[in-house]
Amino acid sequence: MSDTTASSATPNRLNRIADWGIYALFIAVVLGLPMLMDDVFWLNRIAKYLVYGMLGIAIALSWGYAGILNLGQGLFFGLGAYMTAMSLKLMSSTSLQQGSDKPVPDFMLWNAEPGAMTDLCCINKGSFLWIPFQHQWFGLAMAIVLPLIVAFILSSSIFRLRVSGVYVAIITLALVLLVRLLIIDAQPVTNGFNGLTDLGWLTIGGFEFDPYMVQTYYVVAGSLCLVLLLARWLVSTRAGLILQSTRDDPTRARYLGYDVAAFQVFFFTVSAGIAGFAGMLYVVAAEFASPSFMDITFSISMVVWAAVGGRNSLIGACLGAILINTIEATVSETEVFKEAWKLIIGLIFVLVVLYMPRGLAGLARDLTGWLGQRRRGADPMPKAAE
Amino acid sequence: MAVALSIDGLTVDFGGFRAVDDFTTVVEDGELRVILGPNGAGKTTLMDLISGKTASTGGHVHLYGTEITNRPEHIIARHGVGRKFQIPSVFRDLTVRQNLEVAASGEPGVFRNLRLHMVAQDRERIDRVIELTNLGPVLGTIAGELSHGQMQWLELGMLITQQAKVVLLDEPTAGMTQAETFKTAEIINALKGSHTILVVEHDMAFVREIAERISVMHMGRLLAEGPMAQIEADPAVREAYLGSGGIH
Repeated sequence: MSDTTASSATPNRLNRIADWGIYALFIAVVLGLPMLMDDVFWLNRIAKYLVYGMLGIAIALSWGYAGILNLGQGLFFGLGAYMTAMSLKLMSSTSLQQGSDKPVPDFMLWNAEPGAMTDLCCINKGSFLWIPFQHQWFGLAMAIVLPLIVAFILSSSIFRLRVSGVYVAIITLALVLLVRLLIIDAQPVTNGFNGLTDLGWLTIGGFEFDPYMVQTYYVVAGSLCLVLLLARWLVSTRAGLILQSTRDDPTRARYLGYDVAAFQVFFFTVSAGIAGFAGMLYVVAAEFASPSFMDITFSISMVVWAAVGGRNSLIGACLGAILINTIEATVSETEVFKEAWKLIIGLIFVLVVLYMPRGLAGLARDLTGWLGQRRRGADPMPKAAE
Repeated sequence: MAVALSIDGLTVDFGGFRAVDDFTTVVEDGELRVILGPNGAGKTTLMDLISGKTASTGGHVHLYGTEITNRPEHIIARHGVGRKFQIPSVFRDLTVRQNLEVAASGEPGVFRNLRLHMVAQDRERIDRVIELTNLGPVLGTIAGELSHGQMQWLELGMLITQQAKVVLLDEPTAGMTQAETFKTAEIINALKGSHTILVVEHDMAFVREIAERISVMHMGRLLAEGPMAQIEADPAVREAYLGSGGIH
């Protein structure tokens, strides 16, 4: 028995080395990029794609590892973005130039009723909601805390009722649309369709993070690496293993004594927190928040990125998001491809679903497995006990 | 001897149809009890009621003196009831070893499992199960790729790893070859004494191989209870089986 376990452990060990190698390489490239490229315009663009990569991680965590297809991840991304943008808006010079000594968002002043008090407390009915956002850290904290709270309440109710599969997808899809409508509808508070623009810069210890600055790139890139390692650690714990078991067979997991809903709620909520964090970073890099973050197409795009990269692999989904967006940006500069791109990405998605359900990451894993087998020569893995 | 499982007047009423009707029995600690009965007698439903899958509408189930009637499945499992399904139910995308590791965690909650690592005790338990079930050569294999028999043994192995005190087995030899059935009987016989086992089974050769006491169910009720010889001679049992061709 001892030598058979040894031979079945070899490809595992090879996989693990390849795995950590890829992680190390990815982190080195992401953090080392500014040394190779000093075009701040491109760095800013790539920072946005890294944010999408973080969304890929969030999707892989909930879809790949927990088996929960969330078609409304944009909800948490959007909440994170809006919370951040509200604080940064109040720090913007546009909020101080309108003849008030306290910051008031310009759009509120433009739409104020004649004679209304130009103060956040009462310029319109909902404006008091903005008061705590005068502290930048409140907005930044809420960018993660609010998605966590919303996700916790939402997932507690649906997973306790044992809603699963396509129904979760439908509920999350409907919810993101609902919140999008509410935000557009609450025009006096949220600036509706126009979103929040002309934002100030993230300021930490007196240092202003101009989006077109290498330091801002490092904030995004460093955050991505941290989130990647955190998610990786989570799935490698026993809780992560049990989570995967609830994905494969929730009934079996229940009969082993696990409260399946608790595991689903925990990882769904973590995934939402990551999406909220991504929303925060996006606003820091892109300087706006808009209801389009909660468009269905955006939430579905995230799922496509993860599917192409490999939903069962955190780094696969992350790379999928970064690569697709980088290619898209390059391609859509050519007029011919601009419209065709959507078709191309649709085609790639269909092909991946049909022929490569584990995405690029699955392809890479098969390759290392094949290499490992070749190295060991004619010693195929024992498949079954005879 | 201590009582492991006491079922008292257990009833479930599906809108007028009583799948299990006033069923009472006492299973002692370390006993192996076979539940026999024609199709539709309520055997699987009985297991559903004990393990919490279906809520009963009357009666009580006690496990070592603790009432477990109609508790959620995972709580009943935590109290020490393990269940094997008729269709093998394992984690198909995890390896055999991972399947056993999931079963080995003694902690139900999320946060404890973030910090919990495999301890030597878990590993020993898993190793013993691997030996008992002959799964050693396939530890690295994805469970979905196992043969039917191996999948059944893995599921059995998970119940043992889980340290279930009372094990419910629903047709553990369904779809098995003769050699596999024999191996399964061997595993179950090895569990006798250390575990209390309830088996639903149709295969009479297999029942003879493992049975101590038998409860016969018919139309949701307990028809007869006793050792094999007594059951085979029971006229009421013969009567009940007449429609399905008798015991053979």
